[in-house]
Amino acid sequence: MTSVDGGVRPPAVPLWRVVDVTAPPERLAMLRILTGAFSLVYLIVRLPVFVQLTERESGFDGVGLTALLSGPVPDVVILATIALTLGAGVAYTVGWQFRRLGPVFALGFLALGSYRGSWGQLLHFENLVVLHVIVVALSPAADRWSLDARVRHRAPRDTTAYGWPVALAALVVVITYVITGVAKLRYGGLDWIVGDTLRNHVAYSAARLDLLGGDSSPVAGWAVRASWAWTPAAALTVAVELAAPVALLGGRIRTVWVAAVWLLHLGIAATMFIVFPFPLFLVAFAPFYRVERLWTDRPRWLRRGVQAR
Amino acid sequence: MDRRARILVTAVVVGALVAPVVLDADGFPLSTYPMYSSTRDVEVTVATARAVDADGTISTLSLGVIGDSDDPLVVAGELRAAIRDGRATERCSSIAERAARWDRLPGGPAVIEVVTERHDVVVQVEGGDSLVERIVHARCEVPV
Repeated sequence: MTSVDGGVRPPAVPLWRVVDVTAPPERLAMLRILTGAFSLVYLIVRLPVFVQLTERESGFDGVGLTALLSGPVPDVVILATIALTLGAGVAYTVGWQFRRLGPVFALGFLALGSYRGSWGQLLHFENLVVLHVIVVALSPAADRWSLDARVRHRAPRDTTAYGWPVALAALVVVITYVITGVAKLRYGGLDWIVGDTLRNHVAYSAARLDLLGGDSSPVAGWAVRASWAWTPAAALTVAVELAAPVALLGGRIRTVWVAAVWLLHLGIAATMFIVFPFPLFLVAFAPFYRVERLWTDRPRWLRRGVQAR
Repeated sequence: MDRRARILVTAVVVGALVAPVVLDADGFPLSTYPMYSSTRDVEVTVATARAVDADGTISTLSLGVIGDSDDPLVVAGELRAAIRDGRATERCSSIAERAARWDRLPGGPAVIEVVTERHDVVVQVEGGDSLVERIVHARCEVPV
């Protein structure tokens, strides 16, 4: 069997054997492109939120990287970090000067996420994408399908050099979801499943939006009244989260799990207006698949279009 | 990187991800993911702010006016933190300044109240009279 560039395709090793996983360089390259493109769009869409950080003066409580700070930083530092992160994000995505600018992007994204969460409310939308960017930024993800590779074609490395970072990103996803399931049993106990907690969370999200002058979900009222559904939904939520390791087995069971988690996030978005874009746009689950095929197996019409250029 | 180094780095990554759970310390990007994981009663306390005009008519403000953000989690969390840390008056002033520039604020003199309200959230979502208790933490005038 041959890989996309005519080389020998590495043997398939299941993801659960994390350190032995092999992959063609294109898989890691596609993970770089997907995480980079997603992060850039995310940062641009959320740009007003990051720029507004310059107006914050009191209530600073540093988390993550900004726990090292004793207080807010000057506006120019925030704006420079935003600009540097966006610029490095473009370089990360297209694979230009990746060994230097990849880590700069990861550090910038980590710094912005940390600083945004340092004002009394820690959100969890950015955790997974930042962790993926860190893993990819420290890997040889620009050996293919990058500007660096156009300038200097390097000799292929051992295929585990490409497979292991992908498997590590998959492992990060699995552990993250297990932790969310453990948290519900730890902080909520069995009452989280058998009580009215999930229904009350949905009602609370809608009520909070109403009281704060926002628009609550139009389906929240209908969902809250469907009292029969909440215990099965809560049990299913915890079961899906704790079952995350099955995704490392690959095959149909992995896809069933990914579909279940995606539906879970869709339900949260629909009833609570709380959107986790990284899993909802499926980029979080890219490490579980042979994502290089998004390009190598692209439709014929797209193939013709590229050749024509 | 040889296999031994990969094992070591993988172990460090797993350890880093699990450490917040062991230490019960939420952070970024390593987290315990505590959001919505506690049990929640049907009665809930929400921090918010509202405008009250000279006649006592109450107007709901917007997320942007209350918290200078479009994210309800940020707006609610930061207002709750301000009340907890004794900064409700300071927060009230910044809300009033934004309210003065807000084109949907009813005309005439008005004051801003930073409050915590306890509601039966299920009744609230169903459109009923849900208020159980209200505490006013700060009042300040909207600058003309």
